[in-house]
Formats: sequence, structure tokens, C-alpha cells
Amino acid sequence: LPAGLSQWFPSLEVLDVSGTGLAELGAELLALPCLHTLLAKNNRLGGPGSLPKGLGQAALGRSLRVLNLSGNRFLEVPPALFGLRGLRSLSLGGNRLHSIPPDIQELRSLEFLYLGGNFITSIPPELANLPSLSYLVLCDNKIQSIPPQLAQLHSLRSLSLHNNLLTYLPREILNLVHLEELSLRGNPLVVRFVRDLTYNPPSLLELAGRTIKTRNVAYAPSDLPENLVRYLSLASNCPNPKCGGVYFDSCVRQIKFVDFCGKYRLPLMHYLCSPECSSPCSSASQSSTSQSESDSEDEASVAARRMQKVLLG
Amino acid sequence: QSLEELIRILHQIFAEDKVSVEEVQALMESYESNPEEWLQYAKFDQYRYTRNLVDSGNGKFNLMILCWGEGHGSSIHDHTDSHCFMKILQGNLKETLFEWPEKKGNGEMIKKSERVVRENQCAYINDSIGLHRVENISHTETAVSLHLYSPPFDSCNTFDQRTGHKHKVKMTFYSEFGERTHC
Repeated sequence: LPAGLSQWFPSLEVLDVSGTGLAELGAELLALPCLHTLLAKNNRLGGPGSLPKGLGQAALGRSLRVLNLSGNRFLEVPPALFGLRGLRSLSLGGNRLHSIPPDIQELRSLEFLYLGGNFITSIPPELANLPSLSYLVLCDNKIQSIPPQLAQLHSLRSLSLHNNLLTYLPREILNLVHLEELSLRGNPLVVRFVRDLTYNPPSLLELAGRTIKTRNVAYAPSDLPENLVRYLSLASNCPNPKCGGVYFDSCVRQIKFVDFCGKYRLPLMHYLCSPECSSPCSSASQSSTSQSESDSEDEASVAARRMQKVLLG
Repeated sequence: QSLEELIRILHQIFAEDKVSVEEVQALMESYESNPEEWLQYAKFDQYRYTRNLVDSGNGKFNLMILCWGEGHGSSIHDHTDSHCFMKILQGNLKETLFEWPEKKGNGEMIKKSERVVRENQCAYINDSIGLHRVENISHTETAVSLHLYSPPFDSCNTFDQRTGHKHKVKMTFYSEFGERTHC
């Protein structure tokens, strides 16, 4: 881009340099105080120095709202981006990303994040720290699981997960009360009831910890070595509402099927404190899905009323 | 030939008792997409594709423009015994054809074929041909398509690919004749 850009067009608000073969966006952009939309898709950006240094401190860092870098060659989310505190919309679709950096949480104003068509294998829980995120696209990647923290994205209205490698979803997904669109097709979602048969029995340490917690055995920090005090503070409550148990490391993963909108069955992952911890009317039938549905029905019908539209399969 | 002219000729064709599918498909394909003529109807939504009514064909057909953002796609759906023509005005759309599921469908739906429908091409489907899913698989380009449905319909069934279960849904317009509807 010409070096005199900010002198010739000081009031520039929208700049579209898509499909021009650019390999870098240089410092000539930094002094454009009115630029709110920068479209640079289908170029050759992606190497070091693709974005100018000092983006966070420049006028552009404050003004930019929309940035489209789709169809380029980025192997990682360029760290220079994280200075764009006012950024509302970011697209890195169709690049070569293998991961999402935890620093993504720096983009505090982000509402729209498009990361479809990359090689992403996992989602960092820090993504959930974006308070205004309403549209999240992760389709056409290699994602194997969704961190339960994603349910903290209270503003999320649309979540695109189609064509990934998901076999189940975390049960916390039911907490996304404003979600109107959810695409899950093209994932190897478990259809039949699967019980994790390789339950590793808890260690003596864990059994002792569970007893202390469930029986409310009193102790003061001075009574125990520091590492045990820390260990006891890590107890997790069994998510089964009918069970008052706790677990530390040892738990059974059970896939429950929840009927959404009366038609679609989503496999949701539950962590339970032991194989015995499940609905009272259960018996471990491997092919029947009915027992797994019955105790999820209450929470499912509540969630189904909330979740307005599920695009599945 | 312009969009206005296309609509005029469609009205003429559909005023008759008998309409030829091949004639309509050829006619729609012959219109060379000119964004200036349809930009007023092309209203995008960031969350999902939109349906924008262009002409209500004297009750014989509905002509509408669909706007697809990057990655936007439809569910698998039928066409309520109507004829459906889909012409691409901008970008590309992937169409995946599916067999109707068995009555007691409880298995993965069977894919018949898939293809990419390109700019200015016109695809045709009706319930006897099968079901389809339409999606914009591009992560960088939006797509715009022109659809003609005859007779008009406002509800259809969507299908779960994994089980074949169907679910009736009502279809609404994001805008009508260039004006945003609020409902």
C-alpha cells in the first residue's frame, strides 16, 4: 500500500484490498484514525510481518471495528491483532490455523468471530471470556471436543460446529439460553448409548478425600500438610442433581441422550462420581437408550423450550 | 434481458394452464445476473440465510431472493409438492440430494449426489426427485440465489440427517418487495 495513504485519505472509513495479492499490510495503515472496516480477504497474508507492529498503540487500534482476513495463509492468529481493543468482528475463515490462542480473550469487544475452514483441533476455555460474543463459527475444522466453559458465553446467539470431529457435547451446552442457531451436522456424534466401561477405581487418597467432604469432617489448615489442604479444595460436586457425592480425579464419563425439540437426540457428556451414580430406575442396558433419557427429560424439556432452533444433521 | 423482463415473462408463462419445467428452467438460466437489478432485495443477516420476497406471481408462484453469508446452509428439506427452481445470482451453492427416509426411518439418511451450482446456473427439484440441503460452503464469499416456487408454500418438513426424523416448520420472509418485515 502506498506510504502516503493516511495523508491523502485522512478520513478513510472503509478499505477493501481483497484479492490484490498483498503479502503484508504495512505501517501506512496505522495513522488512519477513522478506519473502522478493513477487508483484506483472499490475499497472501500470513507470514511474519503481515500486520504492522504497534497496532495496539496506533490510531487504527482504537478505530478498527471490522477486520476480514479470510482466505489468506495464516498459520496462527497474528499476535499483532490483540491490540485491537475495539474490534467487533473478526474473520480468519479459510486460513491454515491449527489452534486458537488463549490471548483471544484480549479482544474484549468481539461480537462476531469466524474461524471456519481451518485445521483447528481444540478450543481454549479462554474463548469463553469474550463477554459480547454473539456469533461463533467453528465449522469445517478438526475439533474433537467443546470445553464446558463455552456455556459462559451468555450472549451467544449462533454457534456453528458442523463438519468437525465431535462425538458428544458437554451437558453445559444446555445453559446457552439465547442460542437460536446451532449446527452440528457432519460430526461423528454418538448415536447409540455408550457406557465407559474402563472405570478406574479411585485411589485411597481420593476415597479419603470423598469421605471427608461428604461427611463434613471438620479440619483446619493447620491440621494437614499444605498439599492435602489444596487437594481437598479441588473436590468437584457430582453433576447428577440426585447425588450429593463429590469426586476428585476419578469419575465415570457417561453419555446421555437428550431429546431436543422432541426430535433430535444430542449425546451430552456427563461426569458422574461412580458407575452407581445414575437414575434410580436405571439398569446398565447397553443397547437401550430409554434409561439414559428418562432422568434427562426434565432438564431437556426446559432446555428445549429455551433453545429455539437447532440445526442438526 | 433484465430481471423485470424475466418477471414479466414468468407472469405470462404461468397465466397458462400448462407450464413446462424445461421452459422455466431455461428462461431462468438465460437471465444474466446483474446486481444493480436485485441489490435492493439482497438483505443479509449475519446469523443465517435470509428469504426475501420479490414477486408473488398472482398467486401462481413465489419469486424470492435468498442471501447466504459465509458458511450459511439450510437443513435437509422437502418442497411440499411444489416445483422449485434455484438460480445462482452470485457466488456458488452446494446442493446435496438425499433419498426420502423409510417410513420408520431410524438410520442415517442416504446421500444420492452432490454438486456445486455456479453463477447463473439454475437447478430444479421437486418431491418426486428427492430432498436436498443447500449450503454456501465458502468461507470467504457470500452467495445470492433466485428461487421460484410453484405453487407457493409457506411450510415444509426438515429432516435430521442422522435419523431421518422429520419436523414441520413454517417459513417466513426476511423482507418483502424490498422492505424489511418485522415479525
